[in-house]
Amino acid sequence: MVAARRRGDAPGDEPVVVLDRGRVLAASREARAEEVGTGLRRREAEARCPGITVIERDPAADARAFEPVVRAIEDLTPRLVIDRPGMLGFPTRGPSRYFGGDDGLVARVLGALDPVGVEDVRVGIADGAFAARLAARRAVVVPPGETPAFLAPWPVGVLGDDGLAGVLARLGLRTLGAFAALPSPAVLARFGPDGTGAHRLARGEEEHPPALTVPPPDLVEVCEIDPPAERVDEAAFMAKGLADRLLGRLEERGLACTQVVVEAETEHGEHLSRSWRHDGALTPAALTERVRWQLDGWITDGLGERAVAAGRLTGGLTLLRLTPDQVIPAHGRQLGFWGGDAASTDRAARVFARVQGMLGLEHVVTPVPQGGRTPAERVHWVPWGEPRVPEGGRPVDPVVGPTTTELPAWPGAVPGPAPARVLAPPAPVELLDDRGRPIVVTSRGEASGTPAVLRCALLPDRGGAVTAWAGPWAQDVRWWDRAGRARRVHWQVVVGEVACLVRVERGTATLDALYD
Amino acid sequence: MTLAALPPTPSPALVPALPKRDTTARAHLDAVARRGAPLVLARDRVLEVPGPLGALLPGGALQRGTVTTVDGERGAGVTSLALGLAAAATAAGEWAVAVDLPGTLGGLAAREAGVELTRFAVVREVPGDHWAAVVAALLDGVSLVMADVPRGLRAADARRLVARARERSTVLVMVSAAARAWPADAALRLRAEGGAWTGLGSGRGVLAPRPLRLRVEGRGMPSAVRTVDGPLALTG
Repeated sequence: MVAARRRGDAPGDEPVVVLDRGRVLAASREARAEEVGTGLRRREAEARCPGITVIERDPAADARAFEPVVRAIEDLTPRLVIDRPGMLGFPTRGPSRYFGGDDGLVARVLGALDPVGVEDVRVGIADGAFAARLAARRAVVVPPGETPAFLAPWPVGVLGDDGLAGVLARLGLRTLGAFAALPSPAVLARFGPDGTGAHRLARGEEEHPPALTVPPPDLVEVCEIDPPAERVDEAAFMAKGLADRLLGRLEERGLACTQVVVEAETEHGEHLSRSWRHDGALTPAALTERVRWQLDGWITDGLGERAVAAGRLTGGLTLLRLTPDQVIPAHGRQLGFWGGDAASTDRAARVFARVQGMLGLEHVVTPVPQGGRTPAERVHWVPWGEPRVPEGGRPVDPVVGPTTTELPAWPGAVPGPAPARVLAPPAPVELLDDRGRPIVVTSRGEASGTPAVLRCALLPDRGGAVTAWAGPWAQDVRWWDRAGRARRVHWQVVVGEVACLVRVERGTATLDALYD
Repeated sequence: MTLAALPPTPSPALVPALPKRDTTARAHLDAVARRGAPLVLARDRVLEVPGPLGALLPGGALQRGTVTTVDGERGAGVTSLALGLAAAATAAGEWAVAVDLPGTLGGLAAREAGVELTRFAVVREVPGDHWAAVVAALLDGVSLVMADVPRGLRAADARRLVARARERSTVLVMVSAAARAWPADAALRLRAEGGAWTGLGSGRGVLAPRPLRLRVEGRGMPSAVRTVDGPLALTG
C-alpha cells in the first residue's frame, strides 16, 4: 500500500486495494471505510466501492519501500531481523533498558519512523517473536511474564497451520490457551514434531527449543563480483548460486536454515548487512527471493543521486556473503535406508504431470484399496496428484496422516486371488446349463441350473465347456436403498485353463473379471 | 583331541560377516552396497527380480535400458507375469507405471503380485496417435514401464522407444497376446503358457493360486540354454 502510493501508482486520498492472487491483501483507510476488507475477491471489492484503484502485489516494490523503515530503526538498535517486507523484529532487552523501558522504546521507534512518512505503524512487544507479532497487530506492550495470558484468548488459526487448527477446533480446542493447557508429551504423541512446535508457540515459548545447533563456522558462502554489479538482476543471479551452494552444504550436514544474514560490500568499501528469518526452513527459492528483495532495497534506493544525499551505497556491489544465522536439524528430507528415494519420486511426479497435460487428469491414476465385495468395488482409482484416499473416505489428515492402512475383510466378498483383469464395463456372456438354457437366478438367489457352457467373444476360442465352477454366491447389495439396490450372483468358472468371474444380474450374464 | 581333528579354519574372505539366517536383510544390504558403489558396469545396471520369477530369469534380474516382451493368450497369466516384473521395480524403492490400453488392469492383483501401490500408477485410455509420445515421456521418469503393444504399431516408433529406454536406463515391458507382436529388438522374451487351475470343483471350493508354465528366451542366457521352462506359482 505504502509502496504503491510512494510510486505514484495510487492516488493519496482515494480508496486503493492491493491484490494477491485475486484476493485483497491490503486495503487503504478510505477503502476500509467503504467496507472493503482483506480476503475479498476483486469483483466484490469493486462492487462495494465503485471506482476503487486495484494494484497487484509486488514484493520487490514492498522491499524497496520498506528499506527506509529498516534504516530508521537500524539507527536505534542493531540485530534487526526481517520477517518479510513490512514486518521486522528485534530483541528488546538491551534497547528497552537504554531507552527507559518498553513504553519508552515504542515511543522512540514511532518517533524514528515519523520522518519516513509511513502511516499506520504498529509496534508490539512480548516474550518471543510469535507473541510479539500478535502484539504488534493490536499495538500493545505485553509485560514480561504475561505473554501466556496474552496469547490465551487468540484463536488457534493464528498458529498459521490450517491443518492443525482444523483438528484442534474439531477437538474443541478453539483458543491457544486451551491448546497450551495440554501436556506436551501428549501433544508430541498425537501431533508429532510440528504439533510440538505449535504447542510451544501457544505456551509463549520459542518454536524451536532454545538450544539451536550452532552453525559450523565454514558455512559462510561468499562471492566476489567483478566487475561490480550495478543492477539488481546481475547481483541476484550471483545470489541464486550462493543460495543453492549454501543450502546444499547445510543439507549435507542434515541441517536446515531458519535465519540468514545477507551481507554486501560496495566498491567504495561500504558494508551492509541484514538478517532475514523464515518460519520453517528456507528453501533455495525462498532464500534467493529474500536476497533479491534485499538487493532491490539497497541498489534501487541506494545508487544514484539519492544515494549521495543519503550518504549510503555510492558504488556497485563487489561482494555478496550469505551467513546462516540459525540452523535447525533438518527433518523430512531424510531418505529411506532401503531405497524410497525422494529424487525418484520427484522425477516420476513430473512425468505423470506431463502425461496428464497431454491426455487429461483422469488418464493417470493410482489404485487405492478399499472395502467392497467385488474386485471392481475393492479398488478406487484416484487421479494422480489427488489425495490417495478411498472413495467417500475422510481425507488424510495433514498432521496425523492416514490412520489405518489395512482394511477389514468384507462379509460376502468374492474369495480367492484377485483377478488381474477387471472389465469395465463388463462384457456380455452366455452362461448355459447342461441342457443349453441360459441360467437364471430366483429372487432367493437360487440358480436354475449348474453352469455347463460359457460363451464369450473375449475368451480364447470364444469360450467352451465349463470344467470347474464354484457358486452361486448371492449378494443383496444396498437393499435399504431403492435406487442403488442390486441383487446379483457370482460364479467363479474355469473354461479349459482360463478362469473368470461371471455375474448374473437382472437376468443377464456378464463377464466381470478374468484371472490372467 | 588332536590338532588334526580340528576342522580347517576358513579363510576370512569366506566367513560371512552376518548371520546366515536373515537372507532378506543380506539381500537389502547387498543392494545398498551396489547402489553406493562409485563405478557401475553395464552388466551391473540391473533391476533384480526377487522370488521364484527371478530364479527363472538370466542373472535373476532385468537389464536396465532393455526391452522385455511378455506374451501369451488371454487368460494364460500374461498380466500377472508383467505385474510380477513391475513388483521388482517397486520393491527396489523405484517407480513403475502401466500403460493400460483397455483400462482393465486389476489394482488388487497388482498388490497381490507384490507391487507397492504407492509407487505405481496406471495410464489409461491412451489415444492411438498419442501412444508412442506417452510411453516415451514415461520412460523419462520411472524405472519400469509396462505397456500393451497397440494394434498397428510402426516399427520405427518401436525402435525409437528402444533407443529411449536404453538412453534412460529404463526397463520397458511390452505385453501382447501374439508372440513377436513387438516389431523391434527385445533382450528378453517371456511367454506365459497358462496352467491348470486347482481348488475349484463342481460347484464347490475356491480358486487357488496356480503354477504357471513359463518360457524364457533371452540374450543374456548361455547359447546352449535358450529357453527355460519353469512352473511358477502365480496368483490369478
